[in-house]
Amino acid sequence: MGAEVRATDAALIERVVQRDEAALAALYDRYASMLSSVLNRILRDTQATEEILQDIFFQLWSRPSRFDESRGSLPGWLLVIARNRAISRLRRHNPAAGDEISENFVALPVNFESTVARKQMLDRVKGALENLPREQRACVELAYFEGLTHSEIAARTGDPLGTVKTRLRLAVETLKRTLHSAAT
Amino acid sequence: MTNGHPTRDEDFDLLALGALDGEEKQALEAHVASCADCARKLAQARGRVALLALGAPQKAPSPAVKQRLMAQIRGAASEPPAPAHASGSRVPLPSSATRWWNAMLLVGGVALAALTIFLWHENRDLARQVGALHASLVQQQHAMHEASEVAELVTSQGTVTVPLAQQPGAPAGAAHVMYNKKMGMLMYEGEIQPAPASKSYQLWVVPENGKPISAGVFNPVEGRPDHWMMKLPEGVDAKSFAVTLEPAGGMPHPTGPTILAGSIS
Repeated sequence: MGAEVRATDAALIERVVQRDEAALAALYDRYASMLSSVLNRILRDTQATEEILQDIFFQLWSRPSRFDESRGSLPGWLLVIARNRAISRLRRHNPAAGDEISENFVALPVNFESTVARKQMLDRVKGALENLPREQRACVELAYFEGLTHSEIAARTGDPLGTVKTRLRLAVETLKRTLHSAAT
Repeated sequence: MTNGHPTRDEDFDLLALGALDGEEKQALEAHVASCADCARKLAQARGRVALLALGAPQKAPSPAVKQRLMAQIRGAASEPPAPAHASGSRVPLPSSATRWWNAMLLVGGVALAALTIFLWHENRDLARQVGALHASLVQQQHAMHEASEVAELVTSQGTVTVPLAQQPGAPAGAAHVMYNKKMGMLMYEGEIQPAPASKSYQLWVVPENGKPISAGVFNPVEGRPDHWMMKLPEGVDAKSFAVTLEPAGGMPHPTGPTILAGSIS
């Protein structure tokens, strides 16, 4: 067990390619909770969350070649896939909604293989979001957790489009500064 | 935007966040597809945006998800936990006229317990069958989807096969790419000697206009061909394909020697 905990993502993926079930279990243990949290926040549906979570890891098992290091880091890729799937699921109930965001190269600014690093970053992100002005935080949450665009946020909140754009831009600038300093 | 580049780096974060609409979104996506520098910035922005997931309230999945996953990858449902058996408490025998009733209750209780165990076993078997069928169905759906994508690419009239020739001095290998411009799909199939330590091979699509686009990083295993399909970004019109040797994990743009290469004739 200790060896699994210390193994890098790349080493575990290589073992998944060799059909090593313990390696997949180790990756699940490392990242399932993080993915489950974001899926559940977007979907607010435990059953749908668990279906998608299981399917993401089953796909990682079935087609590990879909992930390669050119996509950056495994947790970054998994988080993008999880968010895309959850928002797609949400939008199936909303015929007016747009297309799914394509997943691609994702470069996480930190190494998530260590539980300590994950915890530190979790505290940092929560702190950064809590420190945003309320309206900016609301815009970020509507965009990230509900998949809404500028104009959809404006329609939802009743705020002018320009105001929404300014709030999101300011929020993104602040988060970028905060997360950059956390990663260096 | 200046020369197609966004004037502000935050635009990459807004695109990664999915906040951009309409023309603003299309223009930036089109530019990123042909600009390696901006593609790298977008990758970094995607990483920053992905971190927002950590702002969600923490909620661990139920242990059953992992059990189902492991059962699914083994192609069979997991064993349910053993049922709780009798507690071991003893019922004192009555010593009077109520003995007959107690005997009847005991018989009834035993019959009820037997029925309960029977139904529990039936339920467990049915749940196991449903789990196995579900796992099998999901596997078949994945396999069918993949097979239909391959079939569509292979049978489509617009698909061209581009042999990738071994370059002078390169490790032994041979591969080809099947490419369909209209579908925007490519399939790589090939076999190359394993990459040296700390190196990976990387497939590149060289478009008519713009810089090469990464189409996959791979580390071949001796005697096992590599193959995968991928959808190219919208608007990319491939001219040729190349496999280069890069640092492990690949690079945003080609830096190493060309191992295999081929052009669309």
